[in-house]
Amino acid sequence: MKRIGNPLRKRILREFIHEIGKYIAIFLFMTLTVGFVSGFLVASGSMKHTYDESFERYNVEHGHFVLKNEAGSDFIEEIEKRDKITAYKDFYLEEEADINGDGAKDGTFHIFGERKEINKVCLMEGDIPEKSDEIALDRLYMNNNELKIGDKVKVGNRDMKICGIVALSDYSALYQDNNDIMFDANLFSVAVVSKEGFISFGDKHKYYNYAWLYDKKPKTEVKEKEAAEDFSGHLAKAVYMEENQLELFLPGFLNQAIHFSGDDIGKDRPMMTVLLYVLIVIMGFVFAVTINNMVLKEAAVIGTLRASGYKKGEIFRHYITIPVLVTLVSAILGNLLGYTIFESVARDMYLRSYSFTTYETLWNGEAFVMTTVVPVLIIALVVSITLGRKLSMSPLRFLRRDIEKRKKKKVLRLSGKIGFMNRFRIRIIQQNLSGYLTLFIGIVFSCLILMFGMIMPELIDEYSKDALKYKPAEYQYTIYEPYETDAKNVEKYCISSLKMQDDYYDEEDISIYGIKKNSEYFDVKLPKEGVTITSDLANKYKLKKGDIVNLKEEYGNKLYAFRVSNIMEYPTCLGIFFSMKDFREVFDMEEGYFNGYFSNQELTEEELPEELVAGCVVEEDLTKLARQMDDSMGAMFNLVQGFALVMFLLLMYLLTKQILEKNTNSISLVKVLGYKNGEIGKLYIVTSIWVVLFSTVFSMAFNTWLFHIILRIFMKGFGGWFNLVVSTELYLKMSLMIIVAYLIVVFMQFIKIKKIPMEQVLKNVE
Amino acid sequence: MFLEIKDLKKSYGETGNRTEVLKGISFSVEKGEICVLLGPSGSGKSTLLNIIGGIDTADDGYVSIQNEKTADMKEKALTKYRRKHLGYVFQLYNLIPNLTVRENIEVGAYLSDNPLDIDDLLHTLGLYEHRNKMPNQLSGGQQQRCAIGRAIVKNPDILLCDEPTGALDFNTSKDILRLIEEVNEKYGNTILMVTHNDALKEMADRVIKFRDGKVRKDYRNEKRTPVDELDW
Repeated sequence: MKRIGNPLRKRILREFIHEIGKYIAIFLFMTLTVGFVSGFLVASGSMKHTYDESFERYNVEHGHFVLKNEAGSDFIEEIEKRDKITAYKDFYLEEEADINGDGAKDGTFHIFGERKEINKVCLMEGDIPEKSDEIALDRLYMNNNELKIGDKVKVGNRDMKICGIVALSDYSALYQDNNDIMFDANLFSVAVVSKEGFISFGDKHKYYNYAWLYDKKPKTEVKEKEAAEDFSGHLAKAVYMEENQLELFLPGFLNQAIHFSGDDIGKDRPMMTVLLYVLIVIMGFVFAVTINNMVLKEAAVIGTLRASGYKKGEIFRHYITIPVLVTLVSAILGNLLGYTIFESVARDMYLRSYSFTTYETLWNGEAFVMTTVVPVLIIALVVSITLGRKLSMSPLRFLRRDIEKRKKKKVLRLSGKIGFMNRFRIRIIQQNLSGYLTLFIGIVFSCLILMFGMIMPELIDEYSKDALKYKPAEYQYTIYEPYETDAKNVEKYCISSLKMQDDYYDEEDISIYGIKKNSEYFDVKLPKEGVTITSDLANKYKLKKGDIVNLKEEYGNKLYAFRVSNIMEYPTCLGIFFSMKDFREVFDMEEGYFNGYFSNQELTEEELPEELVAGCVVEEDLTKLARQMDDSMGAMFNLVQGFALVMFLLLMYLLTKQILEKNTNSISLVKVLGYKNGEIGKLYIVTSIWVVLFSTVFSMAFNTWLFHIILRIFMKGFGGWFNLVVSTELYLKMSLMIIVAYLIVVFMQFIKIKKIPMEQVLKNVE
Repeated sequence: MFLEIKDLKKSYGETGNRTEVLKGISFSVEKGEICVLLGPSGSGKSTLLNIIGGIDTADDGYVSIQNEKTADMKEKALTKYRRKHLGYVFQLYNLIPNLTVRENIEVGAYLSDNPLDIDDLLHTLGLYEHRNKMPNQLSGGQQQRCAIGRAIVKNPDILLCDEPTGALDFNTSKDILRLIEEVNEKYGNTILMVTHNDALKEMADRVIKFRDGKVRKDYRNEKRTPVDELDW
C-alpha cells in the first residue's frame, strides 16, 4: 500500500479556520507593520540612493564661504593654489517674496543665477528661466504655498512668473541659515533665475558666496575637518589682508541644508527596522503564548501521538506551521503593499519634508530580506524555543498533562486576610504568568509608541508657545555696524556666537548676548561676576551655578571659559548673557560698540537704514520649527497614535482571549457550581484589569523616564533643546484612550465568558 | 519468548519520601496472546504498561521484546521501536478533535510502511458509516473504537490497552472487548490489557494479578472465554 501523507496536515487549515478571528487579527497587524516598514525602507532606500548619487550627478560643493565684497580673481587663484581647491562663484540674492499680491511678506528666497558648473539644478517640471522675469522655485515650497507654474509672484520689487519647478542639490533641506534649529519650507525657498534676471535685482541683497571643491576630497570626516580648519584659517587671514570680511565659512559636512535630509533618512532606517523587529518579537511572544496553551490543551493527544511513535520533529513541524505560514504570507503581502500603497505614503512623508531631486523607486533586496526573511526567522525562533522546551518532555508527562516546565516546589501561600475573590485572582495571575508578562511587555511598548505619538506634537507646541512667551522683543535687529537711531523705546545690545565644547553633544552655536544692565527687555539681574545662562542651556548641558562653560570661537581656535553665576528662565534659547561692558571686554571691542537693537515696533528706513540690517528675528522666525515639524510629521504623529492603539487593542484581545480559553474548563466548572456570569467576569476580567492598570501606570512612569534619555540621544546631533514636560492632560488623555480601548476588549471578554457552556466541564476532554 | 519482563523495579518521589511502585516484577508473554494485567488502583499496572511501551523507564530490571531490551535503546531508537512495534489505547481516547474518524485512523496508518486497509478496518470497527464524523459527534464507545482503530491500523506487534473500558458502560465495554478479541484473532497481535475488572481475566490467554507492586498470580487460561459470555 502506498504510504499516506501526514494526516496531521489536514488539521492545519481547520485549525486556522477554527481560530480565524485570532489569526486574522495577527495577520492584519503583521501585514500592516511589514507593509509600512517595507514601504518606508523602499522609499527611503530609493531616496538615499538618489541623494547619494546626487553629489556626483549635480556636482555638489564641498563647502562654501561668503565674503562681504566680491573677491578679485588673483585672490581666488591664490587660495585655490594654496589650499588645493577650485572655487566657483555661486552668488545669490536674499529677497523677500509676496506670493499672493497682498503686499505682505510671504517668505524669503535665496535666488541663484545660472548654476552650470557647481550645485547644478534639477528641473522637475516646466522650464529653466530664460527671460529676465522668469523664476523657477523649489517644489516643496510651491506645494506648501499652493503655487503652480504660470503663477505670478513679487520678489523684492520685481514681478516674476513661475516657469519651472526645481530642486537644488545643495538645498535638500530648506535651511535659510545653517544655525536655524529647523529648516522652513513654508517661508523659505531657493529659486533660480536667468543670468539677466539675476543682474536685474542689483547688488543690494547680493551675497558673495563662493562654493569650493577640493582637488582631492579628504577621505575621512576627520581629515575633512582638518582640511576645513586649515582652509578657514588661511582664508580668514587672506580676507583680512585684502580688507574684505569673511561673513560665513561653511564646510560641506557641517551644512545642514545638504546633509540633514541624508542623515535623517540614515537615522530613520535603523529606527524603523528596530521597531519592526520589536513588534515581530512581541508577535512571536503572542504566538508562543498561543502555542503554549494549545500544547497544554492537546497534551494528551500529543502524549498519545508520541507514545504511538510520532517523532518530536513531526509534532514540532505540525505546531510551528501556522505561525510560520501566517508570518510568511503577512510578510509577502506586506511587501506587496510596501512596494505599492505604503511606498507612496512613506515617499509623501519625506517629500513633505525635503526637497529631493527626482527619484525613482528601486527594488531593494536588503529591505525584502529584512521585512520577509528576518520576521519569519524571528517568529520561527521564538516559537521553536517555546515548542522545543515543551516537546523535550516525556510522552508520559504529556499523557498526564503535567507539562509545566518549572515544577512549583512551593505553593505560594496567600494570607487568609486577603479575600477569597482576590486570592482566586492572584492564582489566575500565577497560572497565566507568561501570558500576563507578554501583555505587560506589549502594553509598555504600545504605550511607548502611543506616548511618542502624543508627546511630540505637545513638545513642538510647547516649544512654539515658549518661543513666543519668552521672546525679548517683537523685533530683534542685528546690524553690521553701530548706528545711533532716533527711534524710541529701542535698546542696544551686542550679540555674537561661539561654539559649545562638550564631550557628549556635537559642537553647536551658543548665542552670546551683551545687554544693558536693568534691561527693559529681559527680566534678569546680571551678576557682577560670572555669566547668566539660559534655562535651556543649563538643562541641555546639565549646568548649574558655579560650573564652567567652555566655548570656542567660530572661525578660529580661541577658547573661552565662563563661570555660571545665574540661570535665567528663557526656554528655546541657548544663550549666555552678560553686560555690554563685559561683552566688549571679552571680545575686545571698542567702547560704545553694539550690533543690535531690541524693539517692539518695526523700525522704518529712516530709523534704521536697510543696508545696515544684517537680520531681524520676528515672530514667524521663532515658530519656524513648530510649523515645519507639524508639516513634516503632523500626519505621522496621528498615524503613530492610531497604530499604537490598534496594537494595544490587538494584544489585549489576543492575550486575554488566550487566558480565558486556557480557563474554559474552570469557568465552566464555576458556572456549574452556581457562579453567575457577572461574578465570573469579576474573577477573570478584574484580574486583567489589575494587570492592565499596573502595566499602564508603570508604562507611563517608565516611558517618561525613557523619553528623557531618548531626547538626549535625539538631540545629540541637533542644535537647540526641547524641554520635556509631560502634562497631566496628556497622561489623562492617554489613560482615557487606553481605558476606552480596554472597555472594548472587556466587552468581548464578557461575551466570551457568557458563551462558555456548563457542559464543557462535564464532557470528555476531546 | 516474545515479551519478557525481568525483575522490574520502579519508585517515584524524592529521597526520604519514595514510593516503590514496582517491586521486582517478572513474567513473560508469548506472541499472539491476550494478556490481562489485573489489579486494584495504585498497584503499578499502568506504570508497568508505560515501561513496556517505552514511555517510562525502570530503575532496575528490564523489558525485552524479541530479545531486544528497551533499556538499551536511546530516545530515537525508542521512538522507532514504538512506531514499529506498538499500538496504544488509553482509557480516555485522546482523539484529535479536528480530524474525522477516518483521518484519526490515518494518523496511525501514517506511521507504518505496511498499514492495514483503512476501509476494511472501519468495517471491522463498525465505524464505516461514521468515518466522516468528528470525534465530538460520536458516543464514548465509538470514540474508543476509533482509538483502537488508530492503534491497530499500523498492525503493531503489541497492542497496549490501559483500562480501555474504564470510562464506558457495560454494553459498550463488551462491544470494545469484543473488538479487541476480534482484532487479536484477525491480525494476531499480542495484546496487553490493564484493567481492574476481575471478570476480564476470563478472556485472556495469560493473567497477571498485581497487588502492592508485586505479581501475586501469573497463570495461563488453557481455554479463554469468549467476550460474549462474560458478565460482571
